[in-house]
Amino acid sequence: MAREEQQLTEQESLRLITDMIQKAKKSYYDTGISPLLWGSAVFIASFVTYLQQEFDYKLPFDIWLIVLFAIIPQIVINIRESKFRKFRSHNDIAVDAIWIVYAATLFGLIIYQNVVPAVTVKLINAEGWQMMKHSIINSSVDEPLRPFAPSITSIFILVYAFPTLATGVIKQFRPMIVGAVITYGLFIISCFTENKYDMLLSAITALVCWFIPGIILRKSYLKQKKGNV
Amino acid sequence: MFKELDPILHSQLRLAVMSLLISVKEAEFTFIREKTNSSAGNLSVQVQKLKEAGYIEVNKQFKDNYPQTTCKVTPKGIGAFENYVKALQEYLQVGKQ
Repeated sequence: MAREEQQLTEQESLRLITDMIQKAKKSYYDTGISPLLWGSAVFIASFVTYLQQEFDYKLPFDIWLIVLFAIIPQIVINIRESKFRKFRSHNDIAVDAIWIVYAATLFGLIIYQNVVPAVTVKLINAEGWQMMKHSIINSSVDEPLRPFAPSITSIFILVYAFPTLATGVIKQFRPMIVGAVITYGLFIISCFTENKYDMLLSAITALVCWFIPGIILRKSYLKQKKGNV
Repeated sequence: MFKELDPILHSQLRLAVMSLLISVKEAEFTFIREKTNSSAGNLSVQVQKLKEAGYIEVNKQFKDNYPQTTCKVTPKGIGAFENYVKALQEYLQVGKQ
């Protein structure tokens, strides 16, 4: 039905406004590919790291490179989706901003994890002392100890929860809210566990924050697409 | 005393366009046409009227060698829409009494 220039009653005006706002809301779609991609990448990297530590085995390459390489398909996804996107909602802008801040935070944390221990060694050596590993169980000789950020994976888990909860709340997408709440619980547990199990908790985080919500989004997107055909 | 309903907004297609644009940050012309079930010609005329009133901004550019027109509501448009809805509510309140 074409909408021609015609006089409206007050009730018709109000109905039209509600109708169009609902149409705009229903037009929103998320293919679910991005959460599936990141959920898979972080799950594989965390779980393989856990297996390596559990079975004292080392792969010839750093498994976390998989997360770095996931940036390439993400760029392709962004370009493809922007081609098909016919509108941008206010929520899209807010969610994009949150994920940019998250990426910057994660980048900063990776720099911190890799730079601070080496710099700390230099600084304390310049002061004329070093950290030593002293056993309280046996009388083995003390060894120099390289400083490290204790339970850094806990911090990563905590950071994973933040954009997930914010996205879930903004888009009113319950699976992401639930995933983030579970992740806060996993963060608390990880404060009490050794690094090996922190990696296992990190793998669970990837599943509950992104992979499972990604599957739900994908299913609903495909259903919506099928309905539109 | 009743506020007069804004004649720019008190038209079916223009109100539909404004209601759609108020819900999003910006939208392509083709998206608006699809959601309002209007013809390109009629929509162009109404979009032009909204633009002349300063209620929307129209941006024309090329995307992948195809012309693309995007529309977004201006602060003036948001104010006008809010006033229109308030005026509508007043009318409807009186109607209920």
